[in-house]
Amino acid sequence: MKSIRNIILSLKKYGFLIKQLVSRDFKVKYKRSVLGVAWSLLYPVLMMAVMAIIFSNVFKFNVPGVNYLVYLLTGLTYFNYFSEASNLSMSSIIANFGLINKVYIPKYIFPLTKCLFVGINFLLTLIPLYVVIFATGTGVNIYHLLLPYSFLCLLMFTLGIGFLLSAVAVFLRDMLYIYGIVLTLWTYLTPIMYDLSMLQNKFFETLLKFNPLYQYINFARTIILYKHCPTVGQFAACFVSAALVLLLGVVVFKKNQDKFVYYI
Amino acid sequence: MDEIMIRAKDLSMMFNLGIDKGFSLKQGFVDLFDPKKKKQDKSKNDFWALQDVSFEVKRGEVIGFVGCNGAGKSTLLKIVAGVYKPTKGTIETFGNVCPMIELGAGFDMDLSASENVYLNGAVMGYSEEFIKSKYQEIVDFSELHDFMDVPVKNFSSGMSARLAFSVATIVDPEILIVDEILSVGDAAFQSKSEEKMLSMINGGTTVLYVSHSVESILKLCTGVIWLDHGHIVKAGEPEEVCREYLASLGQSL
Repeated sequence: MKSIRNIILSLKKYGFLIKQLVSRDFKVKYKRSVLGVAWSLLYPVLMMAVMAIIFSNVFKFNVPGVNYLVYLLTGLTYFNYFSEASNLSMSSIIANFGLINKVYIPKYIFPLTKCLFVGINFLLTLIPLYVVIFATGTGVNIYHLLLPYSFLCLLMFTLGIGFLLSAVAVFLRDMLYIYGIVLTLWTYLTPIMYDLSMLQNKFFETLLKFNPLYQYINFARTIILYKHCPTVGQFAACFVSAALVLLLGVVVFKKNQDKFVYYI
Repeated sequence: MDEIMIRAKDLSMMFNLGIDKGFSLKQGFVDLFDPKKKKQDKSKNDFWALQDVSFEVKRGEVIGFVGCNGAGKSTLLKIVAGVYKPTKGTIETFGNVCPMIELGAGFDMDLSASENVYLNGAVMGYSEEFIKSKYQEIVDFSELHDFMDVPVKNFSSGMSARLAFSVATIVDPEILIVDEILSVGDAAFQSKSEEKMLSMINGGTTVLYVSHSVESILKLCTGVIWLDHGHIVKAGEPEEVCREYLASLGQSL
């Protein structure tokens, strides 16, 4: 209980710093580009358009019973958040060494800031997703109100991975490259473009369900595409996987954070 | 006035100088065939920047630190500021600490001066309302009115140092940590910044001050600690300690 109170106090104290760092990320990212912040919206839209054209028109992928475009975009939105936020978090400690070495700032702020910054982008990409949901006639239902639950789990999971990676990367720079490979592999192990039933292999099907990202994406698809309420099992799987990974990340990060200054 | 603001007990700080090399496959492979060498190397790389340093600072005291390069002065300040965690010993501070160890930490070169005031202020731990209310004062002090919308990367080093000094000194901290930054900007700004420091010190702030200029230490400090190779050589009256320190360098006051 005491540690939770400490976290809240610390967040209150450093809330302004977090806000400033997030807004710095925004300002710096789009500085000197003609379209500016519009890229936050445009970039994912165009990327998704490319993927949509390739997978639904060139490869003619299809998932029976649902609109494939919505199916694909739901998966992409979630996965892109994870991949970008975890990548940025990983290098956040190393990149902010100039600060860490000079003033006292709780170090968890850096991965957290990155996850929140990409989180805002994630919320923006929901706009094109919903445009497609309406345009394809998929429509919305009351269960859409449950979607923030999956956002929260996704955020917790990504934060956990971000803490873990950012701590490891300080001691082992190779991680920056290794993770690039892992992430590519992870993309294909997550049913983004395909459906688990396409695998025609019960063993793989079961195995891939242990991928937490599958759980969050599946939660969203259950609501958006299949239009029913996720089962209690789904709720539990999302929360438990996210909480466990977050806990692991926090423990590893906390244990090592005092050593960061010597290794950067 | 006898309230203790900083209590350092048996502070020791070890750096491993070999750490920069880190672990590499090649080195690991080489060491595999020469296990003795690895062990030797490890302890040889240990470097004690501070060893068993203890001191107490009371409210309103201005403590100067003198010593040659590498004596451990900056390390000590960073420990008090909370940047480093001491390898051994404990440090307690009572009151909010304003570290002016390196000015402009957290300046983002791509952002404008005014954006950096907010960012740097947040880094220093100020609240949003506080910076808003003090913004004009910061700009006035830095005398950079015409440049607040210019990205800091286009600033001269003197200009960014002025801005940084103005942001850093806007608070009235209870404990102020200063690492040789009075030499900021041109002559006019230097005397202005020195004045500002003096007024902060006279306002009852507790100060830890590192400088190579014995002259300014004598002017500002109520006590001096002389460090050498991580040990306290002498602590006490400014004049006495400084005289001995200078004598060890073959100079006189």
